[in-house]
Amino acid sequence: MSTTEDDSTDGHSHHLPAVEDWPQGFGEASWWPFVTALGAAGLYVGAGLFLLGQGDDALVGANVGPATIIAGVVLFLVGLYGWIYHGFVKHYWSRDAEDSTGKLRWGMLLFLGTEVATFGAGFVYYFFIRVGPWPPGELPDLLSSLVLANTAILILSSVTLHFAHSALRNGNRRRFAGLLGTTVLLGVVFLAGQVLEYYEFIVGEGFTLSSGIYFSAFFGLTGLHGLHVTLGVILLALLSVRTLYGHYSPERHTSVSTVTMYWHFVDAVWIFLVATLYVGAAFTL
Amino acid sequence: MISGLTPLAVTSVTTSVALTVSMGLVLIAVIAWLARLEDVRSYVPTSDIGGGAGHTEYGHEEKPGGITRWLTTVDHKDIGVLYGVYSVITLAWGGLSVLIMRTELLDPPATLIQSTTYNALLTSHGITLLFLFGTPILAAFANYFVPLLIGADDMAFPRINSIAFWLLPPGALLIWAGFFIPGIAPSQTSWTMYTPLSIQQPSPAVDLMLLGLHLTGVSATMGAINFIATIFTERAEEVSWANLDIFSWTVLTQSGLILFSFPLLGSALVMLLLDRNFGTTFFTVEGGSPILWQNLFWFFGHPEVYILVLPPMGLISIILPKFSGRKLFGFKFVVYSTLAIGVLSFGVWAHHMFATGMDPRLRASFMAVTLAIAVPSAVKTFNWITTMWNGRLRLTAPMLFCIGFVSLFIIGGVTGVFLASIPVDLVLHDTYYVVGHFHFILMAILAAVFAGIYYWFPLYTGKWYQPKLAKIHFWLFMIGSNLTFLAMILLGYNGMPRRYATYNVDIGPVALFTDLHQIATVGAYLIGFSGLVFLWNIVQSWLEGPRVEESDPWDLAQDGLLTKEWEWFDPQQEMTLADGGSEARPPQSDDDTEETT
Repeated sequence: MSTTEDDSTDGHSHHLPAVEDWPQGFGEASWWPFVTALGAAGLYVGAGLFLLGQGDDALVGANVGPATIIAGVVLFLVGLYGWIYHGFVKHYWSRDAEDSTGKLRWGMLLFLGTEVATFGAGFVYYFFIRVGPWPPGELPDLLSSLVLANTAILILSSVTLHFAHSALRNGNRRRFAGLLGTTVLLGVVFLAGQVLEYYEFIVGEGFTLSSGIYFSAFFGLTGLHGLHVTLGVILLALLSVRTLYGHYSPERHTSVSTVTMYWHFVDAVWIFLVATLYVGAAFTL
Repeated sequence: MISGLTPLAVTSVTTSVALTVSMGLVLIAVIAWLARLEDVRSYVPTSDIGGGAGHTEYGHEEKPGGITRWLTTVDHKDIGVLYGVYSVITLAWGGLSVLIMRTELLDPPATLIQSTTYNALLTSHGITLLFLFGTPILAAFANYFVPLLIGADDMAFPRINSIAFWLLPPGALLIWAGFFIPGIAPSQTSWTMYTPLSIQQPSPAVDLMLLGLHLTGVSATMGAINFIATIFTERAEEVSWANLDIFSWTVLTQSGLILFSFPLLGSALVMLLLDRNFGTTFFTVEGGSPILWQNLFWFFGHPEVYILVLPPMGLISIILPKFSGRKLFGFKFVVYSTLAIGVLSFGVWAHHMFATGMDPRLRASFMAVTLAIAVPSAVKTFNWITTMWNGRLRLTAPMLFCIGFVSLFIIGGVTGVFLASIPVDLVLHDTYYVVGHFHFILMAILAAVFAGIYYWFPLYTGKWYQPKLAKIHFWLFMIGSNLTFLAMILLGYNGMPRRYATYNVDIGPVALFTDLHQIATVGAYLIGFSGLVFLWNIVQSWLEGPRVEESDPWDLAQDGLLTKEWEWFDPQQEMTLADGGSEARPPQSDDDTEETT
């Protein structure tokens, strides 16, 4: 967050957290959280309207929900854009970054703690059914070459991102930009691989979310993970864009390190997921 | 859907309309109050916007005027006030819903409302007060006071602080949607949302409620991340771990609990939504089983109990010594017991499931941990009592509520220890005894909240509340709470099942049930009336109360108990007084302070 000292009369220095934000000219006011919250609320209300629009005696039109969701997402992204722009980007080189590095890293670490619980609930379901009779009906070929390739790609992307970060800290911006771009590319390829796998399962073999107890876990967990990879790719893309604009140096790379933490975490979840949900389901001891 | 209404359905519609109208009135009253409040507390008066001429309370312009200030604020103190106002609204609805239920329970048959309405109110009462009141009101205190207590400029992430609040009102609207969307029945799942009932209920109001709960859960999680990051990274240089205040310790522990419990609930809620709408098998009998829901829900739900009680314990630990004229006895042990509760709270969840037929060995180990967690709670209780021992007690309103907390907490805690024992639990399970037990704890939490509101009232309003009204509030609250919930304990001993809208059946001594229910209802009305007294006192004093003249309104310096938030208050006071204030000040006398009243 950008901070600056105001001219308080009491002699006690006081940091103003939002000097750049709209409405302008104030230190402690920003529309962005409110706008972003409205967007998020639109997403949830839209999901509710979508459900209200289902069935024979639907209360609202079938399109109302999706339209609200889209409007919500747009508003959410607008809010987030203004937030990041005013908070981090606009006065990137002049703001006092020393102050915020520690707390931003703490914030990411704590967020990843909550992610453990978010994924935990799904894994607990899987372990609940996995200790029962196995296999629970027909399962597809889980250990295909596609999964192995995708796993290799995701692990490789963690490696490239790590060396990108090292390169930045060693002052080699060129190498940093190249490896960062490679990581984005690998993330996109992984997502494409996931889409291909879904396509083969759903269209090719007819296994869907409601095909049985295994597929609730499979689509639930891989879907949740896929959303996380998507978010990660977006974050990495943001880093890339900011790199093109000349941001980041060996001294200033807080967002590179927080996004790197996130990406490694998502990678680790995938390895655990492959070990349990794919390998663990394919083999019975 | 209106065609062919039965007389009963007409009653139900009338009740719903009455509910909606009363709800609306409460909202209008609060909005009116907020509008006036905004006028009173604006740092920049409307006339000065853009002009930049007049230096007001803070001597510089950090915030816009008007409603914009409240929508855009990233100041932890303003956001604390927003949380507080929001919590008062949700508290009003939570209290109103239960008063309708208690009125229905005056006699055995269903006379006032249908059992479906009763179920809907029961669900809304629990969800509203636990999710929409309990967590936010504590966030109100934590937002306002943690940064002041640790000498921080603001929270670590001021904008995240703001968005965390603004996700709450839409969440509340989604949760209550079933009551005001025509054509759908409100959710009747009870706050525990047990499957398969919650999967099979056809009303989309259940889906809306789940979405709203998820949204409020996201909000609570963001708040928790923010509090932990703030306490870890934003402490002033002179605030070390060794001299971190007790309230911040409890908020830190509470946030740690939120960090792992709310996201897990969030995932479970999404899984339930998928089960309801997309044919998944997470909590179905052939899939993960309804027991999986109970395990996940209570893995969240029991830490939630401590999420709700730890910061109130912190409030008591910080306020009670101030009016005992002594430092908190055994400070270190209060901190250690807080951390112990934080750790143990994740290992007791299955005591909510003793009657589900779980493995007896597991059941016994959960009993052991549950009995163990009573120890740190008892440590705290003895520390509070010892703090008061031989102290110079000043029975001000905040102190009365502190003592009220301790006594309610003791009854709630002791009745809980009995429930922790498996054989006793199997007898009392699903009776009013359980309801009485946990409401004693919840009323204790409420007492601590009131203690905090009165104790810091001079600080966040610059005004004095009316001590006489505060004491009336306290006594009505205490008498009402004990009447209601002791009657419930007795109802439980006699076998009255919980969650029933009627008791006009041959399940026990109906005459005794009727008497006890009537006592409980009288008590509930006393509590409700005490709430009105409280609301009047706060609103009227905020608007018209006498100004606080001194920076140490509770005379804490003489005992060496003046804490950091009052040091912050000092320059604010000087600035306001030098400024002369924008209103004519009422004549000051010593009568303003509580002790002389």
